[in-house]
Amino acid sequence: MDGSVRLDEVVMRFGDFTAIEKTTLEIGSGEFFSFLGPSGCGKTTLLNMISGFLTPTEGRVWIGDEAMGKVSVNRRPTAMIFQNLALFPLMTVFENIEFGLEVRGVDKRTRREASEKLLALVALEGSGPKQIGELSGGQKQRVAIARALAVEPRVLLLDEPLSALDLKLRQHMRAELKAIQRKTGITFIYITHDQGEALTMSDRVAVMSAGRIQQVADPMTLYRSPATGFVAAFVGENNRLETRVIEREGQRVRLDAGNLGELAGMAGETVILGNGDRAALFLRPEHLKPIGEGDAGPRLSATIEAVHFEGAWVMLETRLEASGEKLRVQLGHEVSRQYADSLDIGQRMTFGYDPADAVVLPDDGSPVLDEDTGEMVETEQRAMPDGGSHA
Amino acid sequence: MLRQLQARFGGPLAMAILGLLGIWLILLVTLPQLQMIDYSFRPNLLPDQRGGPEDGWTLGNYATLLNNEIHRVIFFKTLWSSVLVTLLTLAVSYPLAWYLAKVATPRQAALCILLLIIPFWINEILRTYAWFIILAFRGPLNEVLMMLGLIERPIRFLSGDAGVMVGMVYAYILFMVFPVYNAIESLDDNQVRAARDLGAGTIRTHRRIVIPHAKPGIATGCIMTFMLAAGSYAVPALLGSPGSRWFTQIIYNWFFEGGNWNQGAAYAFLLLVLCIGFMSLVMRFFKVGLGDIAK
Repeated sequence: MDGSVRLDEVVMRFGDFTAIEKTTLEIGSGEFFSFLGPSGCGKTTLLNMISGFLTPTEGRVWIGDEAMGKVSVNRRPTAMIFQNLALFPLMTVFENIEFGLEVRGVDKRTRREASEKLLALVALEGSGPKQIGELSGGQKQRVAIARALAVEPRVLLLDEPLSALDLKLRQHMRAELKAIQRKTGITFIYITHDQGEALTMSDRVAVMSAGRIQQVADPMTLYRSPATGFVAAFVGENNRLETRVIEREGQRVRLDAGNLGELAGMAGETVILGNGDRAALFLRPEHLKPIGEGDAGPRLSATIEAVHFEGAWVMLETRLEASGEKLRVQLGHEVSRQYADSLDIGQRMTFGYDPADAVVLPDDGSPVLDEDTGEMVETEQRAMPDGGSHA
Repeated sequence: MLRQLQARFGGPLAMAILGLLGIWLILLVTLPQLQMIDYSFRPNLLPDQRGGPEDGWTLGNYATLLNNEIHRVIFFKTLWSSVLVTLLTLAVSYPLAWYLAKVATPRQAALCILLLIIPFWINEILRTYAWFIILAFRGPLNEVLMMLGLIERPIRFLSGDAGVMVGMVYAYILFMVFPVYNAIESLDDNQVRAARDLGAGTIRTHRRIVIPHAKPGIATGCIMTFMLAAGSYAVPALLGSPGSRWFTQIIYNWFFEGGNWNQGAAYAFLLLVLCIGFMSLVMRFFKVGLGDIAK
């Protein structure tokens, strides 16, 4: 059962608007693959092309070794779990799960056996005769999964199915989805704007923005070595400092950060950076730690503006003294206890980081994600590293 | 309800509104109907016999239908033909309602609805006459069919039930399209997509998902169409032939040609009772309640 999916130079246009730029991508059979991106980035369009609800303007979709060009929705080896689940409210749980089998002409007894087995898989034994309206949110979720699995799809498509659930249930369902995927060996293609979901469940994640795939990688690579500024800002939290390259030695890059002095970070081997080029330095809040007078390495002096106690860690909102830029710092439990006396608004602290943890990417002037509003901001509105003006 | 009205309009105005409503219901609806019921149970007497020994309540007028075979046949034929008209109207309206609700763009739907409504600005009699012309033996429809080579000689559309059927489907189509359209419109698109995704073809998607959802709307449309068809007078009178007489025409004859209001009232009530009985049977069969229809 080959559940691999291949997008072969697919393009999707609606009139003048290009929803998906030319995209080629291969998803392995049995993989848990996620598309992660903000709303409107085209991830749902991609999902609809795989399911057959949309036909790509150009290019082809393959499932296994079959081109899907002429295969209509109801004949594709895919099943979809909809964002609002789209359970049939006038049917019982049994009837919902068995619908796909009924369509295929499976006899009643075999159908019932199959749906009992699926109900056991999603831990809903005995709920078969219930009406959909009698179920809780989490139970509906499970019925939707069972209904989709009933048709024995080679590829299961999930369109943000957890977004309607509350936090605890969502976290629980993440683990459960992953377990079901492992048990069934079906290819899962998961759409989400929630990076937590994408990172915890997926084997690989494609980060999307504005109709383009920015990076395809396993979650750890995505987090540690983002390929573009968008990925660096969208996946996890990142402080972004604008700099110019002084000199590059292998992966290590020395940077001129204007008033902040000289800083350093790592650039991937494939990243092209010449001396004097504009570059963005990404520092994750958890990689910054308080340092003393004698410590070597990069130094960033800042004033604390807010302290958020999150339980396992403390998040500091600070402002860099030299440049006036914001810097978010996350201190682990131990460190925050050690510095408990100085964690107050208005206090000055000096932070350092290991340059091996800092990512340097070329600053091509493309829009960047504003951490505060969650929106993309154009270059003109941004602070310039040498100008010192702030939007 | 009284409290709501009082809160909104104040005591005197609320009383006035309720009073007017009461006058309308009692004086203009209930009393005339009671009068007709009273008529239907009394024999048709000359003015000077009224109040005399022969004037009393009797079932005679109702028995007439049982004893008159021709009237009985027309009575049941009217019911049966109304069922046919209802089914035909549904067959035409359902695809149209589906198109309007789920396929057409908002602009197309608006245009289509406008085109459906405009003919209804014209009087029913005039519209029916238009069909009379279209369906005539030497009319445009026969001409076109012959030109296309589909028939060799003209068809007498107006001599059987065909003309009446066509005229009625046309006359009552809006009463079917709108309730069905409203019902289909409220269906979540993802329901249809989910059914397709699970492998269902067009027919099964409609049979298992769309029609069950639209059932209250379909029932409403069917009840309205059936009631209107069974009570129709103009269409069978104009487009029908002696072979396709409607029961309403017989009621009309009792009132205005036979001059026997008592007999006419009895026939009218028989039609009403039978229609209501028939509709409640249909509603029970489709498991649709009055509440569903009120939606």
